[in-house]
Amino acid sequence: MTLVELHEMIPLLILGGAVVPLLLTVSFYRNLKLTVALTVLIFIAAFTSLFFAPKPVRTDGSLLSMDGYALFYIGLFLAASLVVALLSYGYVRERKDDCQEFYILLILATLGASVLAAANSFIPLFLGLEILSVSLYVLISYLRGFTRCIEAGVKYLILAAASSAFLLFGIALFYAECGTMDFKGISEILQIQGMPTPLLYAAFGLLFVGFGFKLAIVPFHMWTPDVYEGAPSPVTAYIATVSKGAVFSLLVRFFFIMGAHQYKKLLFLFSAIAVASMFTGNLLALRQENVKRVLAYSSIAHLGYLLVAFIAGGDLAVEAAAFYLVSYFITTLAAFGVVAALSGGERDADSIEDYRGLFWQRPWLAAALTAALLSLAGIPLTAGFLAKYYLVAAGMKARLWALVIILIINSAISIYYYLRIVAVMYAEPDAGQNAGRTAFSSSPAAGVALCVMTLLLVWIGVYPQTLITIINAVINYAYPF
Amino acid sequence: MSDYNLSLFYLLIYSTTVVILVAGMIILSYLLGGRHREPATGEPYESGILSTGSARLRFSAQFYVIAMFFVIFDLETVFLVSWAISVRETGWGGFAVILVFLAFLLSVLVYEWRIGAFDYAVSGREILKSIRKAKGI
Repeated sequence: MTLVELHEMIPLLILGGAVVPLLLTVSFYRNLKLTVALTVLIFIAAFTSLFFAPKPVRTDGSLLSMDGYALFYIGLFLAASLVVALLSYGYVRERKDDCQEFYILLILATLGASVLAAANSFIPLFLGLEILSVSLYVLISYLRGFTRCIEAGVKYLILAAASSAFLLFGIALFYAECGTMDFKGISEILQIQGMPTPLLYAAFGLLFVGFGFKLAIVPFHMWTPDVYEGAPSPVTAYIATVSKGAVFSLLVRFFFIMGAHQYKKLLFLFSAIAVASMFTGNLLALRQENVKRVLAYSSIAHLGYLLVAFIAGGDLAVEAAAFYLVSYFITTLAAFGVVAALSGGERDADSIEDYRGLFWQRPWLAAALTAALLSLAGIPLTAGFLAKYYLVAAGMKARLWALVIILIINSAISIYYYLRIVAVMYAEPDAGQNAGRTAFSSSPAAGVALCVMTLLLVWIGVYPQTLITIINAVINYAYPF
Repeated sequence: MSDYNLSLFYLLIYSTTVVILVAGMIILSYLLGGRHREPATGEPYESGILSTGSARLRFSAQFYVIAMFFVIFDLETVFLVSWAISVRETGWGGFAVILVFLAFLLSVLVYEWRIGAFDYAVSGREILKSIRKAKGI
């Protein structure tokens, strides 16, 4: 390990190294405000260090490659984690004493996600995935006074462990066939072979089962609604954004390095999964009465949309996926942020009836949720519209007519269940019906985070040029990986 | 038939055999298995003695914590030994890395001590405190 490599890894070192002092601080001086302030500081420090990253040295066979692609996604994960930290401050404090460890786990999970974004070999891939998942097991069941949280945690634990087993089996098959764990090394062997052996097809398949569980795409989506419903709302936001985004960024890197787009069988498999995810997510969301479950099914559908860009391949796909993920992150964080802000101490405000007449009582929160839902539906003037436009453009460029048409049909279906929640919010409140609604539980920190998310949502929707410039400047398309 | 298709063919035969075998086992046991429903069918068999209470006992989480500590510090030894046999080859770099590893574990130990994970017995002070809390003194 040279000094340059250490310099490259500074963002990861900050995240990993800062956990220890934080742990020691917590063990001697328990103060939630201090812990949250330190956590925010750590995220900001790691984010700032991204700007001082050296030009990546292209050494083949290195475990991590901190190229522009990795830096972009690490920055995105750090920003999203910062928002989750702010959103959870009021939420967790209200439900549990001594919740400082929550933030340590949050930093560790972000470390895992960042390692995934930079992984260049199967070893950091698995390490990053495990750091992320193990932190998430605890985060999901963190409020152990609530049986829902425990249930969600156990479900996630079992399914994530099973999916890790699939992933490991796939990695083992790759190693058995190619004798290397390095992505570049495997892709060279694939080039020589011309056509993958059945064993390698099996390896791709098993690997994809592992990824599919984390991404919650059909047919590996069963856990999503239950875990989304049971987990604390800020953690749900984290699973929906950082956890899925990390695995997706890794998937894009892996399949682009492998040149997997030349294998028609794999592309067919992906197309089938994308179509199934879009339809299943949207159709099952139609009849849900629980807002968190609606958002869970909608996230299944959104990952299906995202796969369209992935199948399209090429530079535009990398750009479209980056743009889509950024807008999806902002939108999802805003939506779950409102759910977290509305939730009282006893239970989450997750039934649609909790939102009846919200506009007349809390107009700002209702406005934020409306913006988020419209963005998820892909209505113009929100980030979600341009993101979907990007996906359609990428799909058209690759001549994936069927997929693009299905994407548009599904967008139309999804408008129904998003607008249903919006309509309930603007309905006349029944007298006395909302007596059970608890006081506004959120802290100023969550309010600021929500406000920033909503403004960003509209800003990107109206003036996307800044984000596009950033994406183009950071990701080097000539050698994206 | 080419080599490629032949190996796919073997895989196909193998997987069909697996499916048929498993399905056969399930269907056969469904068809041949005895089915009867009497008052005592669902009860656990305890050599004729009626069982009392349920099997869902709650075990103290302390056992689990001890097992976890054992795994953590057991693994520490494993890593230390594997470093020790290669101490000359890894040099100062290896020394620095193992120091970082030990520092991490040490801070975890400090944390565990501070949160009271090593207080195996319930302390009298805690009991008094909870009684006072319950009485509202």
